[in-house]
Amino acid sequence: MTQTDAVTSHLHEEKRSTVLKRSLRTLAPLWTLLALMLFFSLASESFLRPINLNNILVQISTLAILGAGMTFVLLTGQIDLSIASMVTLVGIINAHMFVNMGIPEPWPSLAAVGVATLLGLLSGLATTRFRIPSFMSTLAMSLIASGLATWISQGRTFFKISEVAAFLGSGRIGGPDGLRVLTVVAALCLLVSFLVLRYTRFGRYIYMTGANPSGARLAGVNTNLIFTAALAISGFCGGLAGLVNMGRLGSAQPQVIDSFMIDTIGAVVLGGTSLNGGRGGIIQTVIGLLIYGTLRNGLDNIQQLDPFMKEFITGVVLMGALIINLLFSGRSVRDRT
Amino acid sequence: MSDTPPILELRQITKRFGGLTALEDVNFDLHVGETHALVGENGAGKSTLMRILSGVYNEYDGDYILDGQHIRLASPRDALSRGIGMIHQELNVMPELSVAENIFLGRQPLTAMGSVDWRTMNRVAEEELRKLGFNINVRLPLEQYPLGIQQVTEVLRVILSGARILIMDEPTSALSPAEVERLIQLVNDLRSRHKRSIIYISHFLDEVMRVADRVTVLRDGRNVATVNATETSKTQLISLILGREMDAVLPSASESTAKRTLLSIKDLSGGAFENVNLDLDAGEIVGLYGLFGAGHFDLARALFGMFRFDSGTITIDGYSFPTNFTARDAIKKGLAYVSESRRKSLFMDEANYRNITLPHLGHIGGFWPSYAKEVAAARPVMEMVNVQPCKPDNPVGTLSGGNQQKVAIARWITYPPKVFVVSEPTRGMDVGAKNEVLSILVNFRNQGYGVLVVSSEPETVLAVSDRIVVMSRGKIVSELANTGDLQKEALMRLI
Ligand SMILES: Nc1ncnc2c1ncn2[C@@H]1O[C@H](COP(=O)(O)OP(=O)(O)OP(=O)(O)O)[C@@H](O)[C@H]1O
Ligand SMILES: [Mg+2]
Repeated sequence: MTQTDAVTSHLHEEKRSTVLKRSLRTLAPLWTLLALMLFFSLASESFLRPINLNNILVQISTLAILGAGMTFVLLTGQIDLSIASMVTLVGIINAHMFVNMGIPEPWPSLAAVGVATLLGLLSGLATTRFRIPSFMSTLAMSLIASGLATWISQGRTFFKISEVAAFLGSGRIGGPDGLRVLTVVAALCLLVSFLVLRYTRFGRYIYMTGANPSGARLAGVNTNLIFTAALAISGFCGGLAGLVNMGRLGSAQPQVIDSFMIDTIGAVVLGGTSLNGGRGGIIQTVIGLLIYGTLRNGLDNIQQLDPFMKEFITGVVLMGALIINLLFSGRSVRDRT
Repeated sequence: MSDTPPILELRQITKRFGGLTALEDVNFDLHVGETHALVGENGAGKSTLMRILSGVYNEYDGDYILDGQHIRLASPRDALSRGIGMIHQELNVMPELSVAENIFLGRQPLTAMGSVDWRTMNRVAEEELRKLGFNINVRLPLEQYPLGIQQVTEVLRVILSGARILIMDEPTSALSPAEVERLIQLVNDLRSRHKRSIIYISHFLDEVMRVADRVTVLRDGRNVATVNATETSKTQLISLILGREMDAVLPSASESTAKRTLLSIKDLSGGAFENVNLDLDAGEIVGLYGLFGAGHFDLARALFGMFRFDSGTITIDGYSFPTNFTARDAIKKGLAYVSESRRKSLFMDEANYRNITLPHLGHIGGFWPSYAKEVAAARPVMEMVNVQPCKPDNPVGTLSGGNQQKVAIARWITYPPKVFVVSEPTRGMDVGAKNEVLSILVNFRNQGYGVLVVSSEPETVLAVSDRIVVMSRGKIVSELANTGDLQKEALMRLI
C-alpha cells in the first residue's frame, strides 16, 4: 500500500524518468509473474490448463495463510521463524486431543489454534519485554513448538484426523467439482488482512511502527503491543495453516516441514514487502505467492527438467528477489538539511 | 583572489522536481583557499545545489566546471575521488558503529599485518575530538551520543578524508556556542593553513560573517547576490535573504491571570540528571538552557517516558506519573514532545498528513481512519505553520529541513496539549521561519498552555522565555527571570 501510494503522490514531484524507475521497481514483481507465466505456458502444454491453474491455487493456499501472517510481521520490521513448527504442533495437538483423548470437535481445533496464537504472543513478549531480537526468540519458539510436537506424539504419526480438519483441508464447496475449502480459507485470510492493513488504525500503526519505531513511539503508538500483536497474528495464521495442512495430507506428522518457513518468507519478500519494515502489503504478498506457485508448478510441468534442479532454481530466483529488495530499500527519501 | 581561475564553477544550473523548480539559472564558484558561504531561507535550494555539487543529483541543466574542465559527476563516490566531500546534516553516520569507526569510515588505518589498527584509529579520533572540546570515549557506539557528537563525527570524517573541497551543510545546527566557536576555528584553520576550499551553509549569520570570504544568497532557487563578507552586514544579509526588512516581532505575551502549576518536577534523578526541581505554570514559557552533556535533552525525554529516571516525581496538572510510564501515557495526560532529531520523530517516506495525524489518529479517524478526514485535519495545521510547499500528500522527506521541523511541531496543534516540551525547536531554520515557529510557541503560551523550550541556542531561549533555567552537568545551576535586558553572553557565563 505505501509503496504504490508513495509512487502516485510522487508523480507530479519527480522527473518522468525517476517515476519510471520507481514504478519499474514497484511493478517488478508483477512483470516477473507475467514473464514466468508466459514462459511456462510456452514451455509446457499442460501449464495453462484450468486444472493446472487450479492446482497452483491449491498448492499455494497453505502458504497464503502463512503469508498473510508473515506480512504483518515483516511490515513491523520483525521476522517469524517459527511458523513451520507451528504447523506441525497444531496438527499434533488436534490429533492427540481428538484421537487419544477422545475430545469432540470443535475443541481440539480451537485449542490447537489457541496454542499457536499463544506461542506467537509469547515470542512477541520475549521480543518486546526482554529485547531478544525476533529472529532469535522465534527460532527458540520454533524449537519449543517442534519439541512439544515430538513429545506429545511420542514421535508417532496420526493417521486419523478430525472431520473439521478434513473439511478445511480437502473439502469442497458445492459438489465434487466445487471450490476447495482451503482456497476459500486462504482467500478469506488474505482479504481480512488486506482490509485490516489498509483501512484500520491498527494497520496504520503496523506500517508506521515498521517504518520508524522510535518515531511511532514518540507519536504515542504502543510499539511493543504492535510487535507482539503482529507475532500473535502470525501464530494464529500458523495455527490455521496447520489445520488446513493436516486436512490436506490426511494425517498429522511430528516432523517439521522446514520448507514452509522458507517458502513463506520467500513468497512475501518476492512480492516486494521490505525486510526492513514499513513497506509492502497484502497485494504484494499475493503477487509473491503467485510467482512462487507458478515457479514451483511450472518447473514440475517441464518434463525435460532434471527434478533435482528445481530447488536450485527456486533458490536462485529467491536470492535475486532478495537482492532487489535490499538494493532498493536503501534508495528512499531521506532526511534533508 | 579573483585573478586566479576558480577551482570549481557552476553555471546556469537549473534543477526541477516534476513541476517544482528548485533551482533556476544559479551560478556559483569557489576559489582555492576560500570559504564561500551559502545562505537563504528554508527551501531556497541550498541543499539541492550542494547535492548537485557532490554528485547526489546528476540530472540537471547547466555546466559543472572543475579545475577548468566540464564534467558531470556520476555519484557521491565519484565526487569524493575528485576531492569533493560533503557533510550532510544527519545523513551518513552509522549509529551502531563506534565513534572512531565512524570517523574513519571506509579508510581505517591498517597495521603492518594488514589488520585494522584500532589503537591508532582510536587515538587519532580521540585527539581530533578533544581539539574540538569533546572528551568522550570513542569506542562506544555513536548512537549513544547526542546529536551534537554525531554532527561533529560527520564533520571530522569528511575533513580527515582529505577532501580539498569541503561542503558543510549546516554543520553547527546541533552544537552549542562553545563548540561552534571551536568548529569555526577549525574551519578557518583549514582554509588559511591547509588551503582547503570550503562551502559553508548556515542560518546563523553571525557564524557566516566570521567564516566566510564571500557570501552567496539564494532566494526561491535563484541567485540574489554574491557579496564580500567584509563589505556586508548582518542586516543587509537578512534583507537579501528575505527580500524585505525583517519584522522580527513575536506576538506580544498576554499576562496570565490565575497561576496554575501545570508541570511539576520534584527531585528527579536519573542517568543524566540529578535532583532536578522545576515548575511550569499555565501560560508560561520556561527556557531550559544547557550545553552538550548538560542533561537537559535527556530530562525532556524523561518527561515523555522515553528516558528512565530512578527517583523523584513528575506531575502534570495534578497527576503524578508512576516510575514506569510510556510516551502514550504522557500524551494522554496532555504532554507533547518534539524531539531535537527530526529523523527520529518523522517518517521520511510517508506523506505529510500521515506524519501529522499519527499522534491523534484515534481522535481523527476512530477505528477506520479515512483519507479525507485525515487530510482535512492536516491541511489547516500545515497552513497555520506555513509549510512550503503545502501538499499533504507529499512525503515529508521531500521538504527542506526547516519545513520538516514545522511539520514535526505542527502535528501537535490538531489536539493541543497542556504542556509542550520542545527540544531545539528552531534547529536548522532560517531567520523568518525561526520567528514563525517561535510565534507558534508564544501563541500556545497565550492560550494558557505551559511551554518548556529545551535548547542549547541562547538566542532561542532568550527570544521567548519568561523564565530561564540553566543546567550544567545534570544539575540546575541557576534560574532567572528573562526581563529583556539579559544578554547572550551573560547567559553563557552562567554555565
Ligand atoms: N526530492 C525532492 N522532491 C521534491 N521536491 C524536492 C526534493 N528535494 C528538494 N525539494 C524541494 O526543493 C526546494 C529546495 O529544497 P532544499 O532542500 O534545497 O532547501 P534548503 O535551501 O536546503 O532549505 P533548508 O534551509 O530548510 O535546509 C524545496 O522547495 C524542497 O521542497
Ligand atoms: Mg538544506
